[in-house]
Amino acid sequence: MRHFLIVGILVVVAAILTYVGLDSANLMPVAASAQAVPIDEMWNLELIFMSFFFALIVVPLAYSLIVFRRKKGDTSDAEHMEGNTKLEIAWTVLPLFIVIAFAYVGAVNLAETRRVDPDAIIVKVTGIQWSWKFEYPPYGVVSDELHLPVDKQVLLQMTSTDVIHSFWVPEFRVKQDLVPGRITELRITPTLEGDYKVRCAELCGTSHAFMEKPVVISSQGDFDEWMAEQVKLAEQAAATPGGRGQALVAANGCAACHSINGAQGIGPTWSGLFGHEVLLTDGTPVSADEAYIAESIKAPQAKTVAGFEGQLMPSYGFTDEQIADIVAYIKTLR
Amino acid sequence: MRKTNYVGRGLLLLVIAGVAGYGIGLGIDLLISNTLNFSGSVPSAFALLLAVTAFFFGLYGYRGITRGLTWQILGTVLGALFVTGVRALMGSSNIFGAFLFGEPAWVFGALVGVISFLFGVGVVDDWMKWARGIDTPEHHEDEPGWEKYFYVSLDHKVIGIQYTVTALVLIAVGGLFALIFRTELAASQLQFLTTTFRLFNQTGPQLYNTLMSLHGIIMIISILLGISGIMNYVVPMIIGAQDMAFPRLNAFAYWLAVPASVLMLMSLILGGFDTGWTGYPPLSSRAPLGMQMFFLGVFTAGWSSILGSLNVIATVVRMRAKGMSAMRLPIFVWASISTSIIALTATQLIGLSFQLVMFQRLFGMGFFDAAKGGNPVLFQHLFWFYSHPAVYVFVLPGLGVISELLPVFVRKPLFGYRWIAMSSLAIALVGFTVWAHHMFTSGMNEYLRVPFMYSTLLVAVPTGVKFFSWVATLWQGKIQTPTPMLFVLGAIIVFLLGGLTGPPNAAISLDLHLHDTYFIVGHFHDTIFGGFVFPFFAAVYYWYPKATGRRMSEFWGKVHFWMMTPSFLVLTLGMMRVGLLGMRRRIVDYDPALGLDFSHFVMTIAAFLIGLSVLIFFINFFRSLKHGEPATGNIWNSRSPEWQVPSPMPVHNYEVPFEVVGEPYDYGLPGSKYVEFASADKVSHSHS
Amino acid sequence: MTHTQEKSSMLGQGVFIFVYLAVLTGLEFFVAISFGSVPLLVVVALIKAAMVVYYYMHIYKLNLEQEGDEHSYEYKSGTNRLGLWLFLVSDSFVFGGLMVMRINLLGLTRPDLNQLLGLAVTSILLISSFFMNRGETLMHNGDRRGFLLNTAITFVLGLGFLLGVVLLEWRLAIHEGLTPDSGPAGAAFFMMTGMHAFHVFTGLILLAVIMANGRRGLYDEKNYPVEAAAVYWHFVDVVWIFFYPALYLIGTLA
Repeated sequence: MRHFLIVGILVVVAAILTYVGLDSANLMPVAASAQAVPIDEMWNLELIFMSFFFALIVVPLAYSLIVFRRKKGDTSDAEHMEGNTKLEIAWTVLPLFIVIAFAYVGAVNLAETRRVDPDAIIVKVTGIQWSWKFEYPPYGVVSDELHLPVDKQVLLQMTSTDVIHSFWVPEFRVKQDLVPGRITELRITPTLEGDYKVRCAELCGTSHAFMEKPVVISSQGDFDEWMAEQVKLAEQAAATPGGRGQALVAANGCAACHSINGAQGIGPTWSGLFGHEVLLTDGTPVSADEAYIAESIKAPQAKTVAGFEGQLMPSYGFTDEQIADIVAYIKTLR
Repeated sequence: MRKTNYVGRGLLLLVIAGVAGYGIGLGIDLLISNTLNFSGSVPSAFALLLAVTAFFFGLYGYRGITRGLTWQILGTVLGALFVTGVRALMGSSNIFGAFLFGEPAWVFGALVGVISFLFGVGVVDDWMKWARGIDTPEHHEDEPGWEKYFYVSLDHKVIGIQYTVTALVLIAVGGLFALIFRTELAASQLQFLTTTFRLFNQTGPQLYNTLMSLHGIIMIISILLGISGIMNYVVPMIIGAQDMAFPRLNAFAYWLAVPASVLMLMSLILGGFDTGWTGYPPLSSRAPLGMQMFFLGVFTAGWSSILGSLNVIATVVRMRAKGMSAMRLPIFVWASISTSIIALTATQLIGLSFQLVMFQRLFGMGFFDAAKGGNPVLFQHLFWFYSHPAVYVFVLPGLGVISELLPVFVRKPLFGYRWIAMSSLAIALVGFTVWAHHMFTSGMNEYLRVPFMYSTLLVAVPTGVKFFSWVATLWQGKIQTPTPMLFVLGAIIVFLLGGLTGPPNAAISLDLHLHDTYFIVGHFHDTIFGGFVFPFFAAVYYWYPKATGRRMSEFWGKVHFWMMTPSFLVLTLGMMRVGLLGMRRRIVDYDPALGLDFSHFVMTIAAFLIGLSVLIFFINFFRSLKHGEPATGNIWNSRSPEWQVPSPMPVHNYEVPFEVVGEPYDYGLPGSKYVEFASADKVSHSHS
Repeated sequence: MTHTQEKSSMLGQGVFIFVYLAVLTGLEFFVAISFGSVPLLVVVALIKAAMVVYYYMHIYKLNLEQEGDEHSYEYKSGTNRLGLWLFLVSDSFVFGGLMVMRINLLGLTRPDLNQLLGLAVTSILLISSFFMNRGETLMHNGDRRGFLLNTAITFVLGLGFLLGVVLLEWRLAIHEGLTPDSGPAGAAFFMMTGMHAFHVFTGLILLAVIMANGRRGLYDEKNYPVEAAAVYWHFVDVVWIFFYPALYLIGTLA
């Protein structure tokens, strides 16, 4: 019938327009990993399906609203159409096949994102409320930044020390939760040099929004240079207590709560802390000397500074030497 | 003679009691902690509880809800004191906490408070009598007028309205929370929820987490109450029953919702919680005290859902009119049955998962504590085993409303009635098999992911059947678009967007990008608004005349629709866009470098417009009670039985019973009838 | 069949089923301590549960044709019966969830519990179901005294089970180092037995109510409440039919 023909044409036109509109809207960030390629292909397939089914429902609906509107003064009912078994079977069975095919394509697509390179670089990732720690085992380097050479697969072996976090760089697409008590893995092959950010993608408490660290993808040469520099810095730092303390602080994400520049944070700032008087929650003043700071690291709830009630600092299980190093570092902060 | 202004009296007492409560709380806090904690939790808790109770006292006197709330407060305090005393005798340390009582005392106190509320409001009185061997009359006559809504009524119509109004109150509260944090999110960098801002013992970011979490759970509970409202009001009427199968259980299920809501609000004040409504451990096992109030509140509301759905199933199976066979049931009844099957069974799992975390906190039972050999991912399995089917609980009734209303406004049979009926059941059953699609990145077993992708995509098939059938119903009809129909059409389009953005999330590889972003937030807002909110408004506009004998204003109804719908589309399409581009969920602030500031600003404007449209709806709803155009007959010209008797609906529904003699949706078939009422001399006078 | 013939046939059936259940329980205990076959233990539990659900809880009554009109006592009891069974379906999801938790956390290991004590409390609960069935059958046939006596025995046995678990089992476990916070085994054991004990406790309250009302003669004619309390009691027994092997019999010691 005439109506079907018009609607048919309009559906096709609307589907194409919708798809073109969505596709050109730049809805995805730049694709910067090998894993992003099949994922973006899957997204494109979804756009096609979404555009088609959107048009398929909305066009006849809108058409009906215009063409089959009840005329003024007409109080009779419409034609008595109860159903059409063939049609109903068709629109059950056809989508069933489409759905199964789609799932199959999805499974194949998933496999493509999970290709294993046996020579992948291994980086150990630890999520801590609210910071990231990256360890590069062959070099013995610990950093709060993720540096990687381009076009080489990295195997991230990840865990958390406290609650569930999630590793995500939008440009790389793939994400994976970090779960306490187990090691989860994620393989990424960065393909575009540049500066990115990893941001925690599983609600993990007060500063979840700010749990981010830099991810730097560079050429192999630049990566090697960076690594050599990190090794040198680590050696230098290991020489002095303050240096060792600073490395521990960076590795354990203390900066998520304690600033070193006087800015108000979840915890008291360390700038000018050492040697000064602080007011505790019960009103008593105490001098922030070595003993006090050491105790506050070992047993954080023992003597809380006024104004910071309820901000539960975790205990880290540092050794006494490590605590002494951290205190030495804090002493240097004016 | 001047009429007593009850509302005025209530508001006056609210203010007085609020101030007094605040002062008392401040004093008590001062005694315990030695500091004047003006923005703290204890003064606020006292202020809120006393203010709310005093409001109802002024409105209504010491009975019904007022008595319930009073007993809840007393019960909470006594329960907390009891546990504190026991622990003191046992020599435990830390018997007091940051909020006066310690956590075990608050948890036990809150539980005792809920039970005390139920006794206080009087909803267990009859059962207590039966236990003592005393018989009670089967029906209770309600007081005329508005007072019966604040008291225990056994009439399903009163209970349906109680559910609906409570749902609307919760929608307002949850919406208010959303507007607060949408304002913060309108621009990057923290505006007012900063680290130095403190309220209820929480800093700005902590308060954001609490408000965001409460927005989620309060809206979810409002949905459960809203669907209970529609089902309780409509189901007995359309099957020809006098009331639900278990009227006392019905009232009990409703009155559980009030103390549950009190607990939710207490969680805001008692330190909040930072986990989202999903409450994942380990974060939830170390969250503040508000977490426990949240857990208990959900537990209580869950029981309301379970018992309500039990009632719906028993009613439909046992109380149908003569001749109402399975394939002559109104389609909304099929939707209600499917919903109730899920709600009856799966809800227990969210209760269990929360109970396990509660016990982990209280007794150190390491279910989800990796350090004790527990498994954090186990929580997610138990939790989502309910919480996914739950979303079908949210939308199946609304989809049933769409199917129920379309034939009336298109003057054509519902196309493929049997298939639509079966599709509701199919969605309910398949919905039990998809839960782990919320866990694709969780670290669960690899080989489990792909089967869940298949089962998730499978749900699209019965859902598609509904869409195609709706379009076929509209096709070649004679369509009119008064306000209820506008919301039905809006529901279809919005739910379509929600449904189409489901498959991208089902594809595991793509989900690795989309999970925990605003794309998901946009997806579920579309499905929830399309499956519940829009149909809920349609149902209210449609059945309001049946309940009150008056119509809501058509003009303001249209304003509501045309303001809400485009704003909502802008909001959710915006959400999906920013999610794709890297905006994570549940964050108080976002990086300006993402370049999403303008999108967020637009979304906030849209949110406010939605809020304004809902405000317009509220005003329309309440004004029309007295000033709406009278509508006492079959104003929609529906074939359904409830419209064959005058409005407002008579107290016992059908003085004269009816028999089903035809198909429900045979519009356009000359001489066909759905129901036939017995002739006057055959009326039985046996009901007491 | 005459009234008395029906009554003694039902009572006889009750004995017969109990003997079956006792034999199966002995069988599963023997299987567990000798060669521990998990599939066999699961099958035995399913058979025991099916017998209790069919014969003691008479689930087939849900399907009975109602004679009275919808305002009759029979019809209303039928509605109440459906409501009760719907509630039990819902409640079984809690226990199902607890089983999932136990399987996920403990797998094929089990906590170190006293087997004799476990068998003893299990037997007490099974015997209590036998007496509950007798009590219900007798009341249904108008024998108030018999009903009260058998229900009282049920109550005492139920209380015995409760005290056996909470006072003996729990204290013994804690003494042996199996505490709620000692690890997954302790957590699973205490949560499962605790939730079950809570249901036994509420069952005892229901029994107390029907005994008190029964003494006043309330159930001489209309005795659906007796059926309801009895069905709930048997449900609690069915849960234990699964929890007993899950905690005591299946798996190796960690």
